[in-house]
Amino acid sequence: MAEELFPTTVVGSWPRPNWLLDYLKRKNRGEISYEEFSERADEAVLLAIKYQEDAGIDIISDGEQRRDNFYSFVADKLEGIKLMTVAEVMDYVQDKSRYEEMLRALDVPAFAIKSPVAVGPVKRKRPIALDELKFLKEHTKKKVKIPLPGPYMLTRASWIDPVSRNAYWDREELAREYIRLLREEIIALAEAGADFVQLDEPTLTEVVYGGESSQTFMCAAIFSKVDPSQELEFATELVNKVVQGISGVKLGVHVCRGNWSRREESLLRGDYAPLIPYFQEMKVDQFVLEFATQRAGELAVFKDASGIKELGLGVVNPRSDEVESPQQIVAKVSEALKYFDPEDIYLNPDCGFGTFAESPVNTARTAYQKLLAMSQAAEQLRKQYS
Amino acid sequence: MSQQINGLDLAKLREIVELVSANREKAEELNVWKARVRWLGGFRGRAYIRDHSFVVDEPADLAGVDTAPNAVEYVLAALGSCLTVGFILNATKKNVKIDDLEIALEGKIDNILTFLGLSREGHPGYREIKVKLYVKTSASQEEVEEIWRETFNTSPVGNTLTRNVNIIPELSIHRP
Repeated sequence: MAEELFPTTVVGSWPRPNWLLDYLKRKNRGEISYEEFSERADEAVLLAIKYQEDAGIDIISDGEQRRDNFYSFVADKLEGIKLMTVAEVMDYVQDKSRYEEMLRALDVPAFAIKSPVAVGPVKRKRPIALDELKFLKEHTKKKVKIPLPGPYMLTRASWIDPVSRNAYWDREELAREYIRLLREEIIALAEAGADFVQLDEPTLTEVVYGGESSQTFMCAAIFSKVDPSQELEFATELVNKVVQGISGVKLGVHVCRGNWSRREESLLRGDYAPLIPYFQEMKVDQFVLEFATQRAGELAVFKDASGIKELGLGVVNPRSDEVESPQQIVAKVSEALKYFDPEDIYLNPDCGFGTFAESPVNTARTAYQKLLAMSQAAEQLRKQYS
Repeated sequence: MSQQINGLDLAKLREIVELVSANREKAEELNVWKARVRWLGGFRGRAYIRDHSFVVDEPADLAGVDTAPNAVEYVLAALGSCLTVGFILNATKKNVKIDDLEIALEGKIDNILTFLGLSREGHPGYREIKVKLYVKTSASQEEVEEIWRETFNTSPVGNTLTRNVNIIPELSIHRP
């Protein structure tokens, strides 16, 4: 049977129930083990599955319920990674004043933001996401997506000079470690039946639009910035090394402009145009991009952009209360159809609904309504284009 | 072992409070604070306080070499530090555990042009200082608000800034 057109999916995260946050805090305080926490999180994953299934989503995730956010969770999974608060790493930051500006813009204290920092040789302690996949597959008949932190974001977020130099000569050497670990994980995920693996690389927009700062707050990363084009080439090379020769699973890259706040003005703004040449070089099947928010610019950036196979089209804004109508979503897809064939367009929200465990950008109720609108739009589109 | 809260020894803290309350001379001693600042050339200076010293400079856009914070920035830091100490003191007295605390300050000078001699309007001091406390604690909202209020009311630097201090200028000229 041919694949249905316009498959609907999610970017990854779902708002966690409050009781899960209590267990998460206990785990982070070391009062319960990861395994004990994960057992509790099973129940939350079942809720996330149920919401997505009820909304008619075709490719579902586990809602990232076991993760405190989309990249810091690696501290539970990898040896040599330590979660450090921004306050702890501040001593190593050269550009302190810019850093202070960003803290003020976000209105957050330095103790509230944690980042995974490479403090020793990075080794696998537990599978990065294989446990998530196994539980998910046991409890749904739907296709499944596993989001993983991308190699560039991991490197950028966790390389703190001089702390990381305890184990690595430079960030390139650290990046090679992540390439090896991510490849192993994706191969294991593919063998275990994952349908879609998505590498999250939101910091790519920060390279382009993050200003002159040598630090980034998108992932609380502290990193000396070099020329943006060199950074984007480096990121492209890392992604390609991770996915090289892997088959049997759809591979995607997700790029957004931050999802930590509902205050649109605190998030980055600018279209994907500067990233398109690099997307064209990345050997992945799909780019999962935000287009519901106006900050992401126009779909016309894909005009004449050959070599980009599929688009995961962001059609609902995860940060707003207003639920997009199926008509609005259909209109957005019609626009995308100017640049992509119907079989190459997937529908998804712009980003997760609960990227950071303790500050979800929406309620489960609204998130569900948004997914439902997406499914209804997909149905209309299938009638029109089948 | 005596009880520790917020990194403070409760028994020791009580002992100090009792000593100061019973000993008028000791209290008088704690009423007086001293500092000396020596010019280092350009806009740089070094402050000497007890067994400590630190540099004071101006940023490059005020003709300094930006090797250290400037004096008005130290005022903000002094206020922030004072409120930090005060908050921890008041929380500890109430047996409230504080997991983390940060204070962000932003001061607005009334008219910097008067300092540079370019204007006679207003004054070159702070017109307003915004102080934001970020605190991580399990204490209730009411308890934290009460501690914060108490901290403000009893802050030595806060009171210095909000009341008129009688500054007594003196001069001693030494011929080269």
